[in-house]
Amino acid sequence: MKRLWLLTKKNLKLLIRSKSSALIIFFAPLLIILILGLSYNTSSKYGLNIGVYSTSFTEDVNSFISSLQEKEYKIVKYETSLEECVEDIKLGFIHTCVSIPESLQIEENKPKEIVFYIDPSKINLVWAIQEDLGNKFNLKAQELSQELAQNIITRLIETKTKVSERSAELNSVKEKSVSASTSTETLTENLGKVDLSMPTTAYDTAFVAGLKNNLSSEIESGLSEVTAAINAVESANISSGKTQIKTALNSIDEKLNLALTLVQGNGTNSLEGVVTLIASLEQDLTSTKTKLTSASEAISSTATSLSATTEMIKESIASLESVQQGLEEIKTNLESQKVTDANVISAPLITKIEKVSPEKSYLNYMFPVLLVLVIMFSSLLLGTTLVMMEKNSPAFFRNYFVPLKKGMFVLSIYLTNLIITLVQIIVILGVSLFFLKENVLMMFPIALILLLSSSVFTFLGMSLGYLFKSDETGVLASISLGSFLLFMSGVVLPLESVSPLLRKITYFNPFVISEKIIHELFLFGASFKFIWTDVAILIGYSIVLFLIILFIERVIQKHLIEHFMTNLHQKHRQKDKINKGHV
Amino acid sequence: MKLIELKEVSKRFGNNTVLEDVNLSIEEGDIVGIIGQSGSGKTTLLNLITGFLEPTTGQVLHSFKVTQEPADLNKNLDKIKDFIGFAPQHNSFYPKLTVAENLLHFGQLYGLKRETIVNNLKGLLKATELHPHYKKLAEQLSGGMQKRLDISCSLIHKPKVLVLDEPTADLDPKLQREIMEFLQEINKQGVTLVIASHHLHLLEKACNKIVIVHEGKLTTNGLLEDIRRPYVKKHFTISLELGTDKERILSMLGNIPADRIIDQGNNIFVHPAKTDVVQTIARLLKIIEEENLSHRDLDLRKPSLSDIFESITLRKP
Repeated sequence: MKRLWLLTKKNLKLLIRSKSSALIIFFAPLLIILILGLSYNTSSKYGLNIGVYSTSFTEDVNSFISSLQEKEYKIVKYETSLEECVEDIKLGFIHTCVSIPESLQIEENKPKEIVFYIDPSKINLVWAIQEDLGNKFNLKAQELSQELAQNIITRLIETKTKVSERSAELNSVKEKSVSASTSTETLTENLGKVDLSMPTTAYDTAFVAGLKNNLSSEIESGLSEVTAAINAVESANISSGKTQIKTALNSIDEKLNLALTLVQGNGTNSLEGVVTLIASLEQDLTSTKTKLTSASEAISSTATSLSATTEMIKESIASLESVQQGLEEIKTNLESQKVTDANVISAPLITKIEKVSPEKSYLNYMFPVLLVLVIMFSSLLLGTTLVMMEKNSPAFFRNYFVPLKKGMFVLSIYLTNLIITLVQIIVILGVSLFFLKENVLMMFPIALILLLSSSVFTFLGMSLGYLFKSDETGVLASISLGSFLLFMSGVVLPLESVSPLLRKITYFNPFVISEKIIHELFLFGASFKFIWTDVAILIGYSIVLFLIILFIERVIQKHLIEHFMTNLHQKHRQKDKINKGHV
Repeated sequence: MKLIELKEVSKRFGNNTVLEDVNLSIEEGDIVGIIGQSGSGKTTLLNLITGFLEPTTGQVLHSFKVTQEPADLNKNLDKIKDFIGFAPQHNSFYPKLTVAENLLHFGQLYGLKRETIVNNLKGLLKATELHPHYKKLAEQLSGGMQKRLDISCSLIHKPKVLVLDEPTADLDPKLQREIMEFLQEINKQGVTLVIASHHLHLLEKACNKIVIVHEGKLTTNGLLEDIRRPYVKKHFTISLELGTDKERILSMLGNIPADRIIDQGNNIFVHPAKTDVVQTIARLLKIIEEENLSHRDLDLRKPSLSDIFESITLRKP
């Protein structure tokens, strides 16, 4: 252990004192950012894994799914729970979750809402999903909009047909009404001709009353006198009361004579006046009778006309009822068109974007990628550089003669790298805490994962270091490998743009795995049970790579030393030729 | 005591045989110099000795522990790494670590106690004269100091055998000498050295044993004096400034007792008379003195390692 530390300490000293190594360590991250920046300027079509959630997978939903499948999207159906769909986005199984209503038919003045659930941290995918699926939904919305407009047009055509039909009936009604109107005008004219004016004779009926009163008064008076006479007769001593009776009877006689005069006289106040009056009345009645007869005839004629008119009016009413019924039908037809809102007709589907993680800045979303990116490149380059330094060091040859297991040298390089990476991680995470204070609790597990990732990348870099001869080629190979892992990670170009087989392979890219773990830890606060498989893969990678390096080291070490010696020998021989006096 | 022994060792890379039937013993306290042309198989031989390469055929045995029977080096490599130090052709330390950090680092990798490392470190710093620079980054040291540091790194765990591949390459002559002196000093402290180098004159001075590798075979292997013997020259060569009197001097030289005198520009090859070599030399020196000739070099009959090496490598099969 002491000797391991000794080797590590030596490596650190050598690294610090070598300008080129220091340059690589400090400038590599800048180079990465440059590559990343240049690589982001791209656009492409994507094959996506799309989760579709619907309460019921109706014909509408399935039709929509089929249209998505036409674009080679892989569809995963979620029937039970929307949460499951959203969780799968977080776990990276699907790229987006689309919540679709079971029916896409627009039946009310309310657009259907389709909700996209996306992981905003996958910035390059978010826009692709929105654009690609948005286009698909827009197409569907356009179809629905056309359908709605077609419905309206159909109803308008139906209405037009019905209105045309009813229009004929209305014409008939109109004709009948005109005829009735003409008929009634004729009637009016005929009735206007009927003379129903009354005789204007002034009848002095007052005198008849006066006559009556006079006669009545006289008769009553006479009767009274009679009564008095009768009473006087009965009660009176006929002897003594003859005078009185006589007087009374005289009076009666007088009065009755007066009454007779009234009845038989020719004076205006007699019954003769009454006869005259009656004659006048009779004359008037005759005249009136004539008029009435004429009127009766006119009325009879009018009644006949009116009867015809009534028939026509009845027919008109029937026609109007038919028209009314037609209008009712039109109304019903128009009322059956529920969607009348122009906004809904023009945009029957509304897409809504829901983010599966809390709204954060882009720094949060990019943070896991940036971390892994820096660690990957620095570890790769450092691993290669350290091996190259050791391999190309003049002391490399001497190490062969040191009684030490070769694995110790490999481990010492790894440990050196780990220490430098640890310092980098502490610096990066420390600085990031100024911006991401809310994630302070996650920093420790993230640091552990970064160290694990660093181990994998260090071993990869070391492998390259052992495989390549010169510093330049080794570093170039490291950068190339790093770039390759980066491009195959979905950070620069979405993985969805590569073939499905290659996509499956890239899921085992250590960069992808590391980024995924940190992504889930940092953005979703995932617990260990969600990331342990990925962690296990990284550990597996580290062990396998370490064993491979040991194997490579064992196989090529002698070859390296021979190569090393041959090169130096050649140089010395060339110098010897120049020198004189030597063999 | 044999620390390492190669028995009938061959090494092939595919169809290419780099070394064939190598038999070599490295005994405790030796300074073994391995020489050979480029591509002759020196480095392969060193790699076999250090256990970095396994022989295709044959055996590399070690007996670092006194009580132990010779054992296969390659099968016990992990156990014997503490006994072997290797300083490759290039410097093998961390340039961005200081002198002390490098030494401490490699010492600790060998699992030594800190006190032991510190003691070794102090001793090495003193011996290599790197002490004033122990806080300097290795890359800031001069070439010679870097090589000394490299050798020190190979010695920090006090190995029994130190194998060095071209330890003086890329160094100026002064530094080359310093390094070789340092290695000799280490050897005196009990470290067996195996040195492969192209600088034959240095090996000649420092090594007691020489191994010449030629075309994948060990053509010569043994104590320097033993391998020199067959190559003692029949002539000596003197390099003289003859000036304008060349003809006269040559005629004077013609009078000395010699089987043959060959004029090659400024160099005069003299094959002394087999009967009186001493007289020949005495007469030659007298002429030089009388004529006040300045001589640049005098190569006597004892062959240099370079001569031996050239004789071997230029020999036609």
